[in-house]
Amino acid sequence: MLSAFFIFNQKGEVLISRLYRTDFKRSIADVFRIQVVSNSDVRSPIITLGSTSFFHVRINNLYVVAVTKTNANAALVFEFCYRFINICKSYFGKIDEEAIKNNFALVYELIDEICDFGYPQNSEIDTLKSYITTESVVSQNIPADESSKITSQATGAISWRRPDVKYKKNEAFVDVIETVNLSMSNVLRAEVDGHIMMRAYLSGTPECKFGLNDKLVIDKSQGGGGGDAVELDDCRFHQCVRLNEFDATRTISFIPPDGEFELMGYRSTSNVKLPLRVIPTVTEVGSGQVNYDVVVKANFSNKLAATNVVLRIPTPLNTTTADCKVATGKAKYAPSENVMIWKIPRIQGGQECIFSATAILTTSVTNRQVWARPPIDVDFQVLMFTASGLIVRFLKVFEKTSYQSIKWVRYLTKASGGYQIRF
Amino acid sequence: MATSMRGLTQFIADIRGARVRELEEKRINKEMANIRKKFKEECLTSVHRYVAKIIFTYILGYKADVGHMEAVNLISSTKYSEKQIGYLAVTLLMHENSDFLRLVVNSIRKDLESNNEVDNCLALHAIANVGGAEMAEALAEDVHRLLISPTSQTFVKKKAALTLLRLYRKHPEVIQSAEWALRIVSIMDDHDLGVVICVTSLIMALAQDHLDAYSVCYTKAVDRLHKLVIGHEYAATYAYYKVPSPWLQVKLLRLLQYYPPSEDAAVRSALHQVLQTIMANCAEPSKNVQHNNAQHAVLFEAIGLAIHLDTNSPLVGTAAILLARFISSKETNVRYLGLDTMAHLAARAESLEPIKKHQATIIMSLRDKDISVRRRALDLLYSMCDSDNSELIVGELLRYLKVADYALREEMVLKVAILTEKYATSYKWYVDTILQLISAAGDHVGDEVWYRVVQIVINTEDLQEYAAKVAFEHLKAPSTHESLVKVGGYILGEYGHLIANEPGYSPAEQFQLLHSKSQFCVAATRSLLLTTYVKWVNVFPEIKPQLVNIFDRYRHVLDAELQQRACEYFALASRPEDDDFLPNVCEEMPPFPPRVSALLGRLNRKHGDTEGDKRTWIHGGKEANLDKKAIETKVVASDSNGQADPSDIMGSLAGLDLSAPGNSAAAAPEQGSSKPPRAAVGPSIDKWLEKLTYHGEGVLYEDVQIQVGIKSRYQGHMGQVAIYLGNKIPPNTIDARSQSQQLLNIECKKFFSQPPILTLSYLAGSHQTVSLKLPVTITKFFEHVKLDQADFFERWKLIGGAPREAQSVFPIDLAPSGQLDLKKHKEGRIDPNPNNIVAAGVLHMSLDGKVGCLLRLEPNQDAKLCRLTCRSTSEEVSAEVLKLISKPLTAARRPPQS
Repeated sequence: MLSAFFIFNQKGEVLISRLYRTDFKRSIADVFRIQVVSNSDVRSPIITLGSTSFFHVRINNLYVVAVTKTNANAALVFEFCYRFINICKSYFGKIDEEAIKNNFALVYELIDEICDFGYPQNSEIDTLKSYITTESVVSQNIPADESSKITSQATGAISWRRPDVKYKKNEAFVDVIETVNLSMSNVLRAEVDGHIMMRAYLSGTPECKFGLNDKLVIDKSQGGGGGDAVELDDCRFHQCVRLNEFDATRTISFIPPDGEFELMGYRSTSNVKLPLRVIPTVTEVGSGQVNYDVVVKANFSNKLAATNVVLRIPTPLNTTTADCKVATGKAKYAPSENVMIWKIPRIQGGQECIFSATAILTTSVTNRQVWARPPIDVDFQVLMFTASGLIVRFLKVFEKTSYQSIKWVRYLTKASGGYQIRF
Repeated sequence: MATSMRGLTQFIADIRGARVRELEEKRINKEMANIRKKFKEECLTSVHRYVAKIIFTYILGYKADVGHMEAVNLISSTKYSEKQIGYLAVTLLMHENSDFLRLVVNSIRKDLESNNEVDNCLALHAIANVGGAEMAEALAEDVHRLLISPTSQTFVKKKAALTLLRLYRKHPEVIQSAEWALRIVSIMDDHDLGVVICVTSLIMALAQDHLDAYSVCYTKAVDRLHKLVIGHEYAATYAYYKVPSPWLQVKLLRLLQYYPPSEDAAVRSALHQVLQTIMANCAEPSKNVQHNNAQHAVLFEAIGLAIHLDTNSPLVGTAAILLARFISSKETNVRYLGLDTMAHLAARAESLEPIKKHQATIIMSLRDKDISVRRRALDLLYSMCDSDNSELIVGELLRYLKVADYALREEMVLKVAILTEKYATSYKWYVDTILQLISAAGDHVGDEVWYRVVQIVINTEDLQEYAAKVAFEHLKAPSTHESLVKVGGYILGEYGHLIANEPGYSPAEQFQLLHSKSQFCVAATRSLLLTTYVKWVNVFPEIKPQLVNIFDRYRHVLDAELQQRACEYFALASRPEDDDFLPNVCEEMPPFPPRVSALLGRLNRKHGDTEGDKRTWIHGGKEANLDKKAIETKVVASDSNGQADPSDIMGSLAGLDLSAPGNSAAAAPEQGSSKPPRAAVGPSIDKWLEKLTYHGEGVLYEDVQIQVGIKSRYQGHMGQVAIYLGNKIPPNTIDARSQSQQLLNIECKKFFSQPPILTLSYLAGSHQTVSLKLPVTITKFFEHVKLDQADFFERWKLIGGAPREAQSVFPIDLAPSGQLDLKKHKEGRIDPNPNNIVAAGVLHMSLDGKVGCLLRLEPNQDAKLCRLTCRSTSEEVSAEVLKLISKPLTAARRPPQS
């Protein structure tokens, strides 16, 4: 399992260094700095040098690095890294170099709590918050029963929930957030990365049941559920979900933690509904000019709307000027990134937007290479729309006191960086 | 400038201020887009500012693919600031083969010709920095003119000299070194010392390769030295800590060492005076470090020159005294240089006496704290060793070897081995020393060393018994190195029986000792030990059961070599007692043919001539220096031989050394200087060759290992010979029983009579070489011509008799049918006599053109004689053709079958 955990900044300076085991010296951090941080060729998140493996996650110019000498489960290590990032976000809002520096004592406390001798421990944010606090605590003041409660919770059967939660208004919010990754000239790859986030403000120890589409195929090996069925390739659940029950009857039942958590994550690659169609026509006129005509079509019900649509349309590297004409939104040439950026604040369902531009190129170029034509990148958000077609049918809450609860469901499909159209 | 380049300053500040790489890239992309835009708009006012930005971006490591053309245009600008940026861009952005440079050449030439010396200098800088072949060719002439022109400013001359030096180093062929020699050398008289220094550097490079052309510089150099050292004629600015221009002095002294001592007495005395003054100047060391450094630099070069001139002169005596002082100096650098120069002295001097006086100091230097000083001390000890002090020096080296640096050990071992062999007073001492050497520094002992011991022991009969004993004693040590086990195994196997009767050396003890070592050894050593055992089976019947037992065990090891040996030896050993096969196989090794020690070669290879500046001597005594010269000339000779190095045509069957004749068949007689390799001879080889002379294909050579087949085809003066190499033994690069093909294209250039020779070398156990005559004869290049009777005889008569006729009469055996059957060049029945056979052909040669040839064979059935007449337009051809045609007719005494 993990032997060491580090956080580096952009320059390779060590911000946080924690050795869980004795099989490494602190100087192992230098190895990572030399081999990964200062080596711009390295793109792989896992580097194995000899018997040492470095797993790293980059976030806001920080490297979150886990080091191991054993044949650890890579998925688990990355899950640990991302979990750490989420915990940090929850504790101090954002995670960047400054936040880590300002809270380094807290960070050490956290990483000691969520990992023991290299084995990940309870990393439930709400539980952690009950005993790792950001305010100063005078130790005598903690009542004995309070600390024993923490102990019983942390070691009990439902470690993620305290038994004595009380709310006046019992509410549960379910957000289905889907990120679309697409690479198309005709569709080469389309996939949906979905998360079902839940915020539960429910009293007592509620038993929840959760239902999705009727025609839902989880795990393809069971055979297709027809042409229009929603197929999920793989899904993972929060630890509160009773997996044996799910395996037996396909029902999702759980006792939710208090507050926000990710109930379920899934991936879908079939029957992906693409909210935006982009039809680019790019013609190179001689060696001095490139003409662009790009059409964006909103491919969903006209009651809905896509917002914050941004298209980044690449220009050749030897562009001198580019002249853009649009009817909706704004477009301009950004020479520092070699793209034309077209921003549309809102596209109603069914609407079509047109962009046309001319890029003027310089011809006096040495070693001229053929333009590689990188893809057009589209960012957008569509509320109340799921690209996979997933729908929440019901969420039932049973509690001993059988109180009424209010449930809210929201859907969001978005793309940021992964929605690419080749031309 | 600072104000006009505000944009650039801001740009640089922005980039320096960028916190992360992405920001930097964005800033650069933006600037580049702006520059592209500006260039497109053709704003001509501030192009150089944009080019400056491009240069900066390029220096940061980004690609710069715009602005090249603009830079080229800037060069021809009249403003200095623009021209300078233009030149900077050209030297930085363009590599030496860039197409843009062609556009620049003319501008550069114009600047070279310009009257403005600043422009000259910029142009010279650009040439020296880029140094492309095309540029060198186009501009070397102009640079040279600038150098020799009397109107050039001194700093232009300096730059021109250095530019020429750079061009010469890169493209020696573009400099007309010999033609320019006089003009360049004459600049050595320039009144400005700076120019002289630069020109001397240039001449040093040129003179190394063109000694004769630059020999004029000898007197000039002496003259200049005389002026500097004795006349004190120099500008005050060129005195460095009161030493008159030490750099120039050093260069001149080094230059003089390239040449043999002058014959002119005046020059010699002047030089003598100079050297004497230099040495006298250094008699008392000064306090100032810089002054000392400058003086020593000159002094060491002067000593080098003195040694070069005459090792017996009193100057060298003085030098030796000075050196003695230096080698015990407190300063590491001085000690180093002192030892180095002393090694030079030892390498060249007739007598080593002056050096031997300081032997103790030198040996002390082996323990110096600085490794490079230790190295020099080792070199010096190696050079100064002779038969008088060899025992002492070798003993000292051996003692030191145990504590020496690992980096030094291998070289030390080689040197000790060489010295021991060279100056051995007795063979016993030699064997003792080498075995001691191997046990002390086993890892660093190359195979050559122990091979040599074995060679010497085997070739020296009275040493064998002693060697066996000593080897045995050395093997007794608890941990022995593998090389020692090998030597011991070999020697005890051969001569163990000589000592077997003495107490403590019984066969059983020998066996136990050696076998106890075998488990720590690698397979190669073990197989050697197996051979030792089989020899013992022969001489020590008393331990045979143990030995056979070992063979039996080794028959099942995985290593193929070991297994094979074990199986073979097991079979040998288990033959019946009365069989005399085993004793025959296990005969004592015959003495080796005398060979040159491989050690020296190894040592020389280690050194190599890596220094750009040629050293005029090597370590290792006077003979070594003489040897070196001999080797050098030999190398030159073998180069001019025109024999390509054995090229790797097919892996281990390497070195299908196509000696010159093979490539251009007819060129063979021309190369009188190159001694043709001796062709393999043997009755069957001659038979094969003869057969192939008249056939297109067949076997050329065959032995147990290899078979060489030939297929050939001729068309006009061109021929194609395919050589098939067949391997007859198991695993090799050429698969067993398979063939590999090698195609030779042959062109007949002119007449030749000796067939070309093919040298074939391959590895089969050992390196083997076969030289074969290729069946390529002049007749192969004949082409058949159809002539009718009238034509034939018209030409026959036209050529006329001797000397262009060759005729012979020889007896023949008639075939049972009483008929002669000749197909070659048969012309039907043209001759009035129906029994006669005539033939006509044309010989094609690419250089000498065509030679017509007519042939008439007149058999006389009754006399059983035959007259063969051959007429051709070339007398050589007639004779050769006659010889070739009559050979099968006479020699075999029977008509050829085809």
